[in-house]
Amino acid sequence: MNRSVITGKRMSKVYHLPAEDIYAVNNIDLDIHEGDYVAIMGPSGSGKTTLLDILGCMDSLSSGELKVLGFDVSGKKEDELVKIRRGHIGFVFQEFLLIPTLTALENVEIPLHFARKNVKRAECIDLLGKVGLKHRINHLPKQLSGGEKQRVAIARALMASPKILIADEPTGNLDTKNSQEIFNVFQKLNQEGLTIIVATHDEQLGKQARRILHLKDGKICS
Amino acid sequence: MRTLILLLTFVLLSVNNAFAAVGCDLSDPDRDVKRLFPESTGYKTEYVTIEERGGQELAGQIEAKLGEALDSFYETLDVPYAFYRVLKGKEVVGYVHGVNQKGQYGGMQLILATDLHGKILEFYYQKISSPEAKQFRDKNFTRNFTGLTLEDFLALTIPKGSQGVEIQDPSENSQKDFLATLRGVKKNLILLDEFVLGNNSSSVLQEGGNNNADN
Amino acid sequence: MNLVSLSYKNLIRKKIRTGLTVGGVAIAVSVLVSLMGFDKGYQRGLKSDIDKMGYQLLVTAKGCPYEAATLMLQGGGGLRYMEQEVYSKIIQDSRIDKVTPQLVHTVADPDKNDGQGGMMLFMGIHPSLLELKPWMEYKMGGWFSSETALEVIMGYEAAELEQRVVGDQIYVPGIDQVLTVVGIFKRTGTQDDGIIFVPIQTARDLFKLDNKLTGIGIKLKQIDDLVDFQEDLYNEPGIQVISMAQVQGTIYNLISSARVMTNSIALIAVVIAVIGVINTILMSVFERTKEIGVMRALGASRLDIFKIIWFETVMICFIGGIFGNILAFLGGHLVEQLVRGVIPYVPSGQLIYITAPLVFSSFLGAVAMGLMAGIYPAIWASSLRPVEAVRGSE
Repeated sequence: MNRSVITGKRMSKVYHLPAEDIYAVNNIDLDIHEGDYVAIMGPSGSGKTTLLDILGCMDSLSSGELKVLGFDVSGKKEDELVKIRRGHIGFVFQEFLLIPTLTALENVEIPLHFARKNVKRAECIDLLGKVGLKHRINHLPKQLSGGEKQRVAIARALMASPKILIADEPTGNLDTKNSQEIFNVFQKLNQEGLTIIVATHDEQLGKQARRILHLKDGKICS
Repeated sequence: MRTLILLLTFVLLSVNNAFAAVGCDLSDPDRDVKRLFPESTGYKTEYVTIEERGGQELAGQIEAKLGEALDSFYETLDVPYAFYRVLKGKEVVGYVHGVNQKGQYGGMQLILATDLHGKILEFYYQKISSPEAKQFRDKNFTRNFTGLTLEDFLALTIPKGSQGVEIQDPSENSQKDFLATLRGVKKNLILLDEFVLGNNSSSVLQEGGNNNADN
Repeated sequence: MNLVSLSYKNLIRKKIRTGLTVGGVAIAVSVLVSLMGFDKGYQRGLKSDIDKMGYQLLVTAKGCPYEAATLMLQGGGGLRYMEQEVYSKIIQDSRIDKVTPQLVHTVADPDKNDGQGGMMLFMGIHPSLLELKPWMEYKMGGWFSSETALEVIMGYEAAELEQRVVGDQIYVPGIDQVLTVVGIFKRTGTQDDGIIFVPIQTARDLFKLDNKLTGIGIKLKQIDDLVDFQEDLYNEPGIQVISMAQVQGTIYNLISSARVMTNSIALIAVVIAVIGVINTILMSVFERTKEIGVMRALGASRLDIFKIIWFETVMICFIGGIFGNILAFLGGHLVEQLVRGVIPYVPSGQLIYITAPLVFSSFLGAVAMGLMAGIYPAIWASSLRPVEAVRGSE
């Protein structure tokens, strides 16, 4: 059995609204192991994104405990969370969120600057090659298709050699063909040992995962 | 501070003197042009030097027409000559132009208003230093120039006298200033011919002849 | 690719907006540089004008200066006179290095200015003048043949106006006198260029001013003695002493109100530019909230984000500083024309004097302006919580 990379106990995230308290994540226990491929599925508003943000150290818990890669992140402040994210966790978003003024290659290089690492251009190009975009390295995001943009975003997420890849609806803005390309990339990365946690509506993508967590009203149903 | 006003006045007055024009501009172009051409609606000013229009060769031609050399100190090739093209609407109706001329006791500024063919409509001294300045400024003298053209002056050889121009010296003891006036007016007409009328003194001669015949 | 080039690329994303902001900074910097250059140039020009008077002190007769000034403007003599004895007494003082007597007289010339009349300025001088003003050299000719010669030496501009060369005559209206030109000075760039000089005795004879003087120019051996020397002369009856430093100070005071106004304009320009920069950067930050969020998700620290935004503002101000200086160089001439038209006394020579230290400090100032203007947007951007920034309006 692989070692645990994420362990959460009684995790809750509450938004206090004037009328009521909303539990986006409600008392969830979760254990994710190295090399796992977990799909979090569920209807809109079920708490998928909030759970992802918490697991990715982008957001903090209201209550409960969470250990990521052995670090206890419960109750940690943003300045400490960023240190865990940097170099350990990669993110892929539904809207790609590439920086429009930078080329594909420059977008991929960005995490290295923030991690204070030397930029090795050859590695960046190899990484883009891995997602099938070696021929597009000098193109700006506006010159790329949706699928290509998402693949650049994946390469960017992988640049700092993370242990965990977190993807929020990565195929949400893509057609079937482009979605399939992303499935293939994820499959390959997972086979190489990368832990992937993906929130999705996409049944196909879900089926590919080793484990599916169904979320409803902030709780895991299965 | 009061004690310094005098000094300031002195400085200011002196500075005004210090920036006298090298060429010969009208002292108040708006007023002067309107007085000379009451029907005018405006004017355009152009500064021309012999240097930029032909240099030494042109200076030689001007000297040949003038009948004597240009002054080596104050009639150098880089002296800017001001020409005012008088406008009525968009149409040019005449020219006003002035020259500096060395007089016996000081500098003269001789201003001519001419028609489109270079015929003098009015002549006056913008500046003259002479014990007999009054006689020279007198309308009875200056109006003698009205109607004359370069043709009338080409026959004139200065400083020998005023043959060819039927004008009498108004002064008693300032013949040099009288001759200087004739020279200045002649130079002024030559420059107008060269710079503005396109060196058509030969055609002016012909037209002038016809005009005389008509008259 | 580093943070600086990331900032640069952000700026060129909205070229027009960035261009306008840079333009605003450039205008503010050029106004500042021009005005500071003017201040420097004015002081320098004034000092040079005063230095070129050749003396540190001018002794004149006591009297109402307004009255004298009015009479002078009307073309009359009108100046207050001192007696020669004052001069004889003053020259005894051992503290004096060089001293020269002057007799200024104006003559109305009815044939100047198109027959409307004008003035001719004559100055009776002594050979000692050339010791006080060694830069006055002859273009032609030389000094008068005698102390009472009916001769003139003309300033450069005066000779040009009258078209005179050595040997020519010049007519003095009013007294109906003809004088001979024996010398013409080279151009000095001072008021002396417009003056006609005569021997001081000749001036007295011609204008019937026996033993009179209008001024005595004095240069002391030791500049430190100036105040004491001036104090001593205050006790002399009938005269007043003006130090050139005082004149300089007085003229400078005359334009000080204009300076306050222009400095206020410069300050307003700077404030507007700073607000413009803050506004531009803030708008840019608002528009890039998600990008900032994603950078934070990818490991950017607060300091990284702060730096990116700060670099942007500094870059805007630095480029604005470059263009502002170019603008000040190119537009300095225009500003000079404008200033010449509105202030009471303008020294000769270059009025806007832009020096290397001024250019350097304007750059520093522009960068400092950028640093200050960038603080608020940079803090705002760096304190965005990544999760809120990425999710934005969701």
